[in-house]
Amino acid sequence: MRAFRDRIAVAGIGYSPLTRRPERSLASLAAEAVDAALADAGLDRRALDGLATSPSMPRYGGAKGTVEGIDVVTPWALGERLGIHTHTRWTGSTNGMVTQAFMEAAMAIASGVCSHVVVYRALHVPPGSYINYENRYSVGPEQWLAPFGFSGPPSWAASVVKRYFEMFGYSRADLARYIVDNRANTCRNPNGFWRGKPLAADDYLNARMIADPMSILDCDIPVDGCAALLLTSTERARDLKRKPALLTGFSAGTHSPPTGVPMTLDDIWIGCEQVAARLWEATGLGPSDFDTAQLYDGFAPFVYLWLEGLGIVPRGEGLAFLRDGHGSLGGKLPVNTGGGALGEGRLHGMTQLAEAVIQVTDRGGERQVPGARRAIATISNGLTKATAFAISRDEGQ
Amino acid sequence: MTVESEAVLRPLPLGDEVSEAFWDAAKAGRLDIQRCRACRRWNHAPSLACPTCGSEDLGYETVSGKGSLFTWCVLKEAPAPGFRDMLPLIVAIVELAEQPHLLLSTNIVGAREEELRLGMPLEVTFERVTEDCALPQFRPAREAA
Repeated sequence: MRAFRDRIAVAGIGYSPLTRRPERSLASLAAEAVDAALADAGLDRRALDGLATSPSMPRYGGAKGTVEGIDVVTPWALGERLGIHTHTRWTGSTNGMVTQAFMEAAMAIASGVCSHVVVYRALHVPPGSYINYENRYSVGPEQWLAPFGFSGPPSWAASVVKRYFEMFGYSRADLARYIVDNRANTCRNPNGFWRGKPLAADDYLNARMIADPMSILDCDIPVDGCAALLLTSTERARDLKRKPALLTGFSAGTHSPPTGVPMTLDDIWIGCEQVAARLWEATGLGPSDFDTAQLYDGFAPFVYLWLEGLGIVPRGEGLAFLRDGHGSLGGKLPVNTGGGALGEGRLHGMTQLAEAVIQVTDRGGERQVPGARRAIATISNGLTKATAFAISRDEGQ
Repeated sequence: MTVESEAVLRPLPLGDEVSEAFWDAAKAGRLDIQRCRACRRWNHAPSLACPTCGSEDLGYETVSGKGSLFTWCVLKEAPAPGFRDMLPLIVAIVELAEQPHLLLSTNIVGAREEELRLGMPLEVTFERVTEDCALPQFRPAREAA
């Protein structure tokens, strides 16, 4: 695994606008993000010979459409639209998280199949409420959840938070500092959906409660839009326009919770620790080797559970770490410096990866962690499909 | 049709080959959980093969109905139209007494939110939703588990 170390680089970042209810199609937004990533690297579509994504819709959310170009953008359709299907050598499309497609893209380059691959996440927010289980009957895994009202991910996360609060004596007030800091980080990020909208602690404490103790402000903000990252070999990246960010290593988790429940605190700990152990094995690094951490925040509690799972703090101390400001800009380990999915927008981990790249290439502007050499990005909740990445500054040549 | 029959219900479970024995038992007022005949581990949600030893020799056995509160949350918005009159709804995960980490998603009835404690003893009770469906629910245990 260490044979991969620093051989693949991210050479370009591209974003479409991240908004709600845009008049443009998702396919159009995806094409814009891909073109932006290519332009960032000083390349054009002719260079691109691979595309990878996870094109799925969120599991719950209004009309669960699958219309190509509107609800989803598969790499096959995007290749046609970009006019690169004639020379595309590989398209990757996982059913897991987009960050697994990122790992596959890195392997496509390492193996020599591709020279330049764009990994993108295009996401559409369908109309309707997220809390909308309207089926008369529930089948399969849902038969154990939906009849009890346990059909929405915010309530799953709430059940994890409640156990954590009860075990360690925390309350929502302990997370307010982090939520406020995170929004402040977002305001320093030109891509952030909530830029220009700072929050106060009272805004968090008085936020609309969905599944106590999870409020609307503990959930990421669903957006229409796309982010794209251009991967190539480190050798090639050094000839391109931008200073590259090196992929030092990655790992994925395979720990599943018991099947009668969606997720548990105990299983998330085990899963995060498994992902971390595999990352240390892959990279030779450890929990104290990072200058900034981009930790998945589809739901806010995952941030402190990752801090614990990675071994940055012991179990039960992650929320205190955030409460005491150690995750703030200027703190011991600045966390989610671009605002994460809570502030920048739901892109299923692309915000974390893009921000890791930004930090180790000194592109963070007002939110830059001075001289950041290594960033860690973690995605998902630690259970099966979770991934982690070590991204490093290029100090070689 | 009467107004009552048109009322919007909570989503009903539709059993399958693996799970129908669970729902049939619930309808009869029993909590039956899948158990591996090879390694004797309890298994929920039921599956085609034992997740512990891989055996496909699985059956159902009636459990004590005793458990403890593993965690919970309180829904302030209806997760489906049929829950509109049930708010706030306590959704819970119960750890059944038979085996550590044998977890079941359910609701808590007969207790207020502020009475709930991690690990508090609970016992099963069945809520008949329709003529053909009863859901296992949990209430504070009447005697120490």
